[in-house]
Amino acid sequence: MYTDLLHALPDVLAWTNFAAVVIGVIAGIVVGAMPGLSATMAISVLVPFTFGLEPLVALGLMAGIYNGAMYGGAIPAVLLRIPGTPAAVATTFDGYPMAQKGEGGFALQVAVVSSSIGGIASAFALMLLAPPLSKVTLLFGPSEVFWVAVFGLASIIFLLGGNPVKGLISAGFGVFVSVIGSDPIYGNDRFTFGQLEMLDGINIVILLVGLYALPPVIDLLETPLKTDGVNSSKLGTESIWKALPRMKSYWKTWLRGSLIGIWIGILPGAGGSMAAFMSYNEARRASKHPETWGEGEPEGVAAAEVANNADTASALIPALTLGIPGTAVAAVMLGGLLVHGLQPGPMLFRDNPDIVFGFMWQFLFGAILLVLLGGSLATNSFARLLNLPRPLLGSVIIVLMLIGVYSIHGRMFDVYLMLGFGAIGWVMDRLKFPLPPVVLGLILGGFAEENLRLALRIGRGDPTILFQNTTSLILVALTIAVVVGPTLKKRFVDSRKAA
Amino acid sequence: MPESRKSRLTRPETLTALGIIVVAVGFLIPTFEMRAISALLPAAMLIALIVLSVFLLISDQRKVSTGPDAKPMTQSPKRVVGAFLLVVAYALATDFIGFYVSTAVTIPLVAWLFGYRSPLGLLIATVIVVGTIWAIFDFGMSQEFPSGRLWGR
Repeated sequence: MYTDLLHALPDVLAWTNFAAVVIGVIAGIVVGAMPGLSATMAISVLVPFTFGLEPLVALGLMAGIYNGAMYGGAIPAVLLRIPGTPAAVATTFDGYPMAQKGEGGFALQVAVVSSSIGGIASAFALMLLAPPLSKVTLLFGPSEVFWVAVFGLASIIFLLGGNPVKGLISAGFGVFVSVIGSDPIYGNDRFTFGQLEMLDGINIVILLVGLYALPPVIDLLETPLKTDGVNSSKLGTESIWKALPRMKSYWKTWLRGSLIGIWIGILPGAGGSMAAFMSYNEARRASKHPETWGEGEPEGVAAAEVANNADTASALIPALTLGIPGTAVAAVMLGGLLVHGLQPGPMLFRDNPDIVFGFMWQFLFGAILLVLLGGSLATNSFARLLNLPRPLLGSVIIVLMLIGVYSIHGRMFDVYLMLGFGAIGWVMDRLKFPLPPVVLGLILGGFAEENLRLALRIGRGDPTILFQNTTSLILVALTIAVVVGPTLKKRFVDSRKAA
Repeated sequence: MPESRKSRLTRPETLTALGIIVVAVGFLIPTFEMRAISALLPAAMLIALIVLSVFLLISDQRKVSTGPDAKPMTQSPKRVVGAFLLVVAYALATDFIGFYVSTAVTIPLVAWLFGYRSPLGLLIATVIVVGTIWAIFDFGMSQEFPSGRLWGR
């Protein structure tokens, strides 16, 4: 089962594939360091540029960006008390007080080492858990695959929290977009309105760039951020290798945070910020001096950063094996896989073992590279990025979005379509409609329809075929549990409070 | 104090729900001309969207009497509308005038209008970005960008 993992290693170490991870990590730290930009946005903008690249180069860039951005978010969190990414909120609690005491450099070193450890643990979890799970899912037929798709959509809608009606509307919108184009079996047009450009359906990249890249750009231009400048010479950094012995006592926090991050990553709909908060709270509870937390306790930075990086690769465990992403970034990465003709799900491991296992190695190397690239010297340089003017950054991203989307088919129609999705994405974002269900709806909609129709053909039109085996029934039960579970839990908690 | 009839209907969530209903009904019409099996999923999704939007509409209208006033979607509507219009104008300019000219104008224009006013910084940024795009995409990857419909190319 794990021999494919070893066979994939030489390919990953080819210089182009390895260089992609290095570039990705640096780009990720840069993106994460800029408040308002996120790994999700960066990967969305990147995906169209990877069309002409070898799959492992493209995936290496994505893995590097994801790892880098999760740490990069700590830079403004520590120096300005502005989390660069949502997952870095808990890092501000102790990181900023440390910076005020003149220990900003050490806070960033704790952050980078903890991020790296979390990322390494997460990559190992992906390597160990995904292959056996994929073996199980290989046994699935059309009706089971249909229910996996339904379960995936249900879990991301209902476990994401927030308003389930909005989650359902988001997913419904995504599924509807997936049916635009030619019917997969009969070939007749659906909602193309005579536009030849729509016959092949809507490319997922157009949707990703519109939904995830345009709204942050509008935000950048809407609220200009005053950073007061960051003087990197005042960070007080020493060599990262000299600082390591001071971190020896954090090993329990790293272990606990890694496990929490991995678990949260696997759960659909959770994410880095929840992992960081849980890890921070647990570490504070276990601390002998909880009163020092919130006033510049380095272990607080370690707890938050190890967990928000430990959910990176683990979010891909359900994504790669079942096609169900654990986080928004994982959903965008599924889109990136599709661009290269790699359909997430059980067949991925059978048909493209070199690529899927290579991707896992790239996550591991990306996490290791964090320490080397995000060390003391690099940290000083990255801190200067906070002084970049946001309007200029916004205008450059607009240009990159246009180039990326235009390059897919070489036509402006896609650019106009992307702008339409961008406007919809901005409204959804402001009204707190979750965006991951839209992406998952687009990915799983076509997949679910094809397998549903295949199952119905096998059953000669009899819908009971969807309920005729144990796996399908288990998946139906899990779907019901995911839908009903949060409501029952809320009622239980409310009734206990009332009592 | 209860909101007026007009402001009840202009709440962002209410408007969104109404918009979804109108668009979903519009898209539902073509499904009647499709094969039943082809129309199954799209029609089911559109009907679900209509039903869910009705739920959203009702829950938002209930908030009128019980909850606080709806928050506006943005604190700076002029900046948001301006940003959207500039992005759309850039896409149209690329289509009709050509990519390089539009990009060379858009980068400094957007940055200037939204608060970055250093002429030297704008010049350097524009030259670096446009030059890098040309070197990587045009020169390195032979990627052709729109040269402008107005020039008939």
